Amino acid sequence: MTANVTMRRKKFRWGPILVLLLTMFLALIFLAPVFFALISAFKSNGEILKNPMALPSSFYLKNFQDLFEQSDFVTAIKHSLILTVVSELLIVAIVPMAAFAIERRTSRGMKLIYTYFLAGMMIPFHLYMFPLFKQMRLFGIYGTLGGPIICYLSGSVAFGSLLYCSFLKGIPLEIEEAAQIDGCSPFQIFWQVTFPLLGPCTASMVVLNGLNIWNDFLMPYLVLPSGKAKTITVEVFSFVGQYTARWDIVFAGTVCSIVPALVIFVLLQKYFVKGITAGAAKG
Amino acid sequence: MTKKKGGIDTAAVAFIAPAFILYTLFIIVPAFSSVYYSFTSWDGISPVVKFVGLANYREIFTSARFGNALRNTVILTVFISIVENALALLLALLVDHVKWFKNFFRSAFYVPVLISGIVSGFIWKIMYNYNFGAINSLLTSIGLGEWKQDWLGNPKLTLLMVGFVLIWKGAGYYMIIYLASLQSVPTDVVEAAAIDGASPWQRFKTITVPLISGAFTINFTLSLINGLKVFDQISVMTDGGPGFTTETVVYLLYKVGFNEGRQGFGTAVGIVLLFIIIILNAVQQKFLKSREVQL
Repeated sequence: MTANVTMRRKKFRWGPILVLLLTMFLALIFLAPVFFALISAFKSNGEILKNPMALPSSFYLKNFQDLFEQSDFVTAIKHSLILTVVSELLIVAIVPMAAFAIERRTSRGMKLIYTYFLAGMMIPFHLYMFPLFKQMRLFGIYGTLGGPIICYLSGSVAFGSLLYCSFLKGIPLEIEEAAQIDGCSPFQIFWQVTFPLLGPCTASMVVLNGLNIWNDFLMPYLVLPSGKAKTITVEVFSFVGQYTARWDIVFAGTVCSIVPALVIFVLLQKYFVKGITAGAAKG
Repeated sequence: MTKKKGGIDTAAVAFIAPAFILYTLFIIVPAFSSVYYSFTSWDGISPVVKFVGLANYREIFTSARFGNALRNTVILTVFISIVENALALLLALLVDHVKWFKNFFRSAFYVPVLISGIVSGFIWKIMYNYNFGAINSLLTSIGLGEWKQDWLGNPKLTLLMVGFVLIWKGAGYYMIIYLASLQSVPTDVVEAAAIDGASPWQRFKTITVPLISGAFTINFTLSLINGLKVFDQISVMTDGGPGFTTETVVYLLYKVGFNEGRQGFGTAVGIVLLFIIIILNAVQQKFLKSREVQL
């Protein structure tokens, strides 16, 4: 927002300063709850209750000690990691190949399949979750980590093929044709020539989709066997009911959920932005 | 991968088969079986599935509980979509115009998007707490102690309080889309208008807004669908309460399906939800698409 035209003659302009102050104020509101969660994990319950926004008085790690002693949080972390990493690996193994076939073939059948895939974006998970669980029992994956993984994989086909198809349009065919003349099979062409060029797209897909899996609640909550630790998100949820008087422990759990996502975001920011805008441009 | 003439294209089939099979088996088949189960009194466990015709749908449209859930959903969704988009556009404009720390601010507004629904719900539940919450202590410290509230216990406020959390968590995502759209507005057009004497507001209204109308369409569509699907924050913050004041359609679906063992009825609610999404989407697309301008 630029300053008024009448201000133009003066050297000093208030406009940019006001914009900065307003932006700072809003950024403060956006960050305060996150900051509150992070500092509370390093404070005792008494300290949290006394002054929620004060910094921890010492480097206090008892919450984490209690968290790992009183619950099977290690298993929860392990499950969250397995679900996220294995799902993403499988998604990258399957979805770009499908998008490649759709984008490089102009047949009507492929067009139809693409439309069929995109339709999946309209269907809310809650609509089909009850029959889905039945389907999972039928395949013997209900109650195992394989259950959510298969569902995340299936659920990523719609958005994934949209994202990969839009990136594939920008990759020149000449390179692939040259590889074909050199005697490469379609499989080799894709994995050795095209796929490496899709790096930014893969990164965007993995960070956005991986974040959703890392943060997912309902699927692991309902699918993984009860009575045992499930995932970080599910554990935090059950702590809220269980430790109503021990917010400090719950905050230690929330830090384990937030920090990995935050670190990935700081390292790979531009891929978040690329993925969101590429998805929106066609979505 | 160039096309061979005639015959079945084995490579293409092999490439697409895994995605096609999984997507069909775990999304499309369950989605279609939902239609079937919505006509039954299935409890989700027993192998016996009894056909009950339209009874579930009749119950949906006559029960006060569904009516209440639908009202809550509509209020929450409309509230979120409007405020979230207004805020996201403001954030995008600020980040686009701010002279210093542009990247820092963009990231700062995006940070809440990274946090899971459950964790964000928990953090705000504590901040809303009557005795020890940050909101009330802030009010006291700036001399507005009489505004202190049990923010999640007041049936008149709870739904809006949940809405604020969703707006806080979601605005950064829509900001990214608005920002990309703002950055694609050609500066020469804006500058030409400035030379012709158009005020900043006139320039914004007559040049920027029409040119970013595509982002409006996308963002309203996304925030609408996300608003209809809200679940995590409600489950951790209010569990649908106090009373039924924050029970939304999705939450009702979940409760009848899992707590009351009425999955046939639950799926029928899901089918109604899909129709709500399709209808709202169509209305909105028609309204917003007609205003889109391309340069």
